Amino acid sequence: MKMKQVLATGAALSMALSMTPVTASAADKVDINVIAAQYGQQTADWWANFVTEFNEANPDINLNVEVVSWNDIYTVVNTRIANGEAPDVLNIDVFADYQADDLLLPIQDVVSEETYSKMYDAFLAQSEVDGTVWAIPDLASARAMYYNKDILDAAGVEVPTTWDELKDACEKIKAYDDSLYPWGIDMTTDEGQAAFAYYTWNNGGGFVDDDGNWTLNSEQNVEAIQYAIDLVNSGYTNTDPANDTRYDLQDMFGAGKVAMLIAPNSLPTYIATGGNEVNYGVASIPSNTGESVSAGVMDRFMCFDNDYSDEEKAAITTFFDYFYDDARYTEWVDMEGFLPATKTGGEALAAANEDMASWIDILDSCKFYPTAKAEWADVKQGVINVEQNALLGGDVQELLDDLQSEIAG
Amino acid sequence: MKKKFKKVEPYIWILPSVLLMAVFILVPIVFVFRMALSDVSKAGLIKGFAGLENFRKVTSSSVFAMVLKNTLVWTVAVVGISTLLGFILAILLNNEFKGRKLARAVVVFPWATTLIVQASIWKFIIDTDYGTLNTLLMRLGIIDHAINWTPTAGAYFAWEIACGIFVTIPFVTFTVLSGLQSIDASYYEAAAVDGASYWQKMFQITIPLVRPNLTISTILNIIYVFNSFPIIWTITKGDPANRTDTLVTYLYKLAFYNGKQGQAAAVSVIGFLILLLCASLYMVSVLKKGDE
Repeated sequence: MKMKQVLATGAALSMALSMTPVTASAADKVDINVIAAQYGQQTADWWANFVTEFNEANPDINLNVEVVSWNDIYTVVNTRIANGEAPDVLNIDVFADYQADDLLLPIQDVVSEETYSKMYDAFLAQSEVDGTVWAIPDLASARAMYYNKDILDAAGVEVPTTWDELKDACEKIKAYDDSLYPWGIDMTTDEGQAAFAYYTWNNGGGFVDDDGNWTLNSEQNVEAIQYAIDLVNSGYTNTDPANDTRYDLQDMFGAGKVAMLIAPNSLPTYIATGGNEVNYGVASIPSNTGESVSAGVMDRFMCFDNDYSDEEKAAITTFFDYFYDDARYTEWVDMEGFLPATKTGGEALAAANEDMASWIDILDSCKFYPTAKAEWADVKQGVINVEQNALLGGDVQELLDDLQSEIAG
Repeated sequence: MKKKFKKVEPYIWILPSVLLMAVFILVPIVFVFRMALSDVSKAGLIKGFAGLENFRKVTSSSVFAMVLKNTLVWTVAVVGISTLLGFILAILLNNEFKGRKLARAVVVFPWATTLIVQASIWKFIIDTDYGTLNTLLMRLGIIDHAINWTPTAGAYFAWEIACGIFVTIPFVTFTVLSGLQSIDASYYEAAAVDGASYWQKMFQITIPLVRPNLTISTILNIIYVFNSFPIIWTITKGDPANRTDTLVTYLYKLAFYNGKQGQAAAVSVIGFLILLLCASLYMVSVLKKGDE
């Protein structure tokens, strides 16, 4: 048998076994078990501090937070669920699979009206299935176009806003210096779905229509993907979009090799941490429709249905109120380098930081992946597969037709 | 009473390892088989018995045949070539020469380094934009602009196979070397007296006597290489469009990217059965030859 798998299962088993005693703590305290995603180096410390303060402020509650890395979190959560040891509160990106298994409570059952009303409505709508909201956003990030000012100036190129201008800019940059990559594209297993979103959304297409039906092979989508593939085939991009992840692109942008790319708001920090220095500018993602659409990514808190007593429910409500307290919440978002998911947090951060203000504007025009739909995992891998097959010379229309019929039947 | 204890004693001694094996090997195997035959939700809950539905879905996918072919090419190429090269290296290292100890130590390096580190280094070496291979060749004046070493999926796969061979050679070399060192020098002396040529000695004495070592290294390598995950995952993740996927990377994507754990378990079971079959056939044929 596969050694890795055996070991992994063994490790998961022993982990699950060691979890059990958590519930047997001090007599009349209410336990809350939280699994939180590890966003960065400081996440674990921040939560440890949070737990200490929370337990001091709430002597009748025993909060326990386990911070798990993104690499392991899905396996850990699934193993816990399979063993009937689901956490009370989970901080992760997706929720639809848990909801589909009837494992979650409607989030309004455990979140106070005051905390709930802080959330951006557009964000809450992303966690809605059958008219019920199942999760609240914890933070968000958004994408925009970054460009290397020095290269664009030297090549005599204006910052492109339309697809035609983008092609033009690429051509000029290539003419200026053949060894540069004017435009960065990531169509990898890592995040190829983002490329699909950038191009289709900015061509009036997308994953779904207004009613939420899959429209993967729409005319706009075919045109958009063809446009992106043409950029690659014209030699305007990095040589290997199927293997260059966004981190590779960000490194190349930092090194002055890639002139323009679409990247998250954390790019400047990423480049600085890598020891590079670039004279960069930020602009809207070029669009073919005249209206630029940014891609937003959002993570969530959700509450598992573990047959709670009223005290337990109240304790979970207390936890959320405590976490989303404006001062504490903005400190957390700022520490993690993301964008806030609450209106009050957004206002506070925008007032404190000008850069942040423009990002919070972008957040307002964001579209999100349809992660609430049960087929999302298949669609995500499906569009990446379409892109990579198109890079290998496949016909975009045929590939998208196949995917659409596979997904929508 | 004492006699009875004597009889039971060995079993008590091996009980801990049997228990360990049962818990850490047998139980997971049973779990994987159960999952492969179940309808598993995306959150990992077993929803009921599904019969062979997972197997049907997996094998009817157009990608599966390609992945299976890749796995075959990967295993045969890596095991075959590294066995040949490792054998030659072992013969060389068995000779007396100055610095032999150092040479033997150097051969261990690729093996002693973690696969992920190895694969990351290879990826770094062959990278078009900042790879050391291009930099080196340009510094030496052999090329004047960066070459794309991985223009096609096939090229990527070939590099991955090369990396696989590189890390597999030391194991073959040392297994064979231990066999070579146990061959009594008097055989060669007798052959020399009879006027045997180098190749006659090689095929009549050396190879037959190290065959048990070669068998062991080949069987273990077939299993290791077939199941090897880190090299391919680090270098290409099976991209583009499954062109460099093997069964193991494919099932990992099925389980953790597509949330199809039932189908992933089915692929795992298929791989297990293929290995079981190959290893058994190989063992049987080798043991038969040994008897002759």
